[in-house]
Amino acid sequence: MDYQTMLAWALPVGVGMAAIGSALGLGRAVGSAMEAIGRQPEAAGKIQTAMIIGAALIEALTIYALVVFFILQGKIGG
Amino acid sequence: MTKNSDANINFVGRTIRTTGIVLLVFLPFGFYYLGTFHALAIFSGGVWGIINLIFLSAMVRAAVRPDGADTRRVASVGLIKFPLLYLAGYFLLKVPQFDALFLLIGFSSLIAIMVLKSLGRLLLGLDIGKNGEHMQKAI
Repeated sequence: MDYQTMLAWALPVGVGMAAIGSALGLGRAVGSAMEAIGRQPEAAGKIQTAMIIGAALIEALTIYALVVFFILQGKIGG
Repeated sequence: MTKNSDANINFVGRTIRTTGIVLLVFLPFGFYYLGTFHALAIFSGGVWGIINLIFLSAMVRAAVRPDGADTRRVASVGLIKFPLLYLAGYFLLKVPQFDALFLLIGFSSLIAIMVLKSLGRLLLGLDIGKNGEHMQKAI
């Protein structure tokens, strides 16, 4: 298996793994945030802020994976 | 709501404002030291990141609420964010003059400012309430 074939296999698998990881992370974050708001509704503002920061960081990691995909996609020749 | 928690809610807004100012201050220096297209790529990446964070925070505020999610608002923000904003990001990546690395640097500036602001709040103890309780404990 040559380098380009391996890259063609690895890229979609890598992006898929990043998407699964961030989906699991976001799911856990939202679940925990809802639970925390249910327990302490008066802290909703603080929880939302923490949730937004966490979601932004999780989303950034997925976007990094996607950009790396687009950069390396050009290296797969025909 | 106390003054401290108001400041906490505005954290995202202040991060967005700081990033905008940093990007605007950086732009002339970027033109001079990096060249027009690299500077514009960093600026565009940063602006894309700011718009993304605005939509993300609107979505979280509409979805994660004590009185239930505002589904109409979540759907409308999601319909703008996911197809349109991500399509804009795709076209930014496809601009031949823009290097993806510099777009990423611009996008990362938002994250860097967010981390630095959080570090500042932590070191200055801005999230510690009157009774000494920490934000994490409040959650």
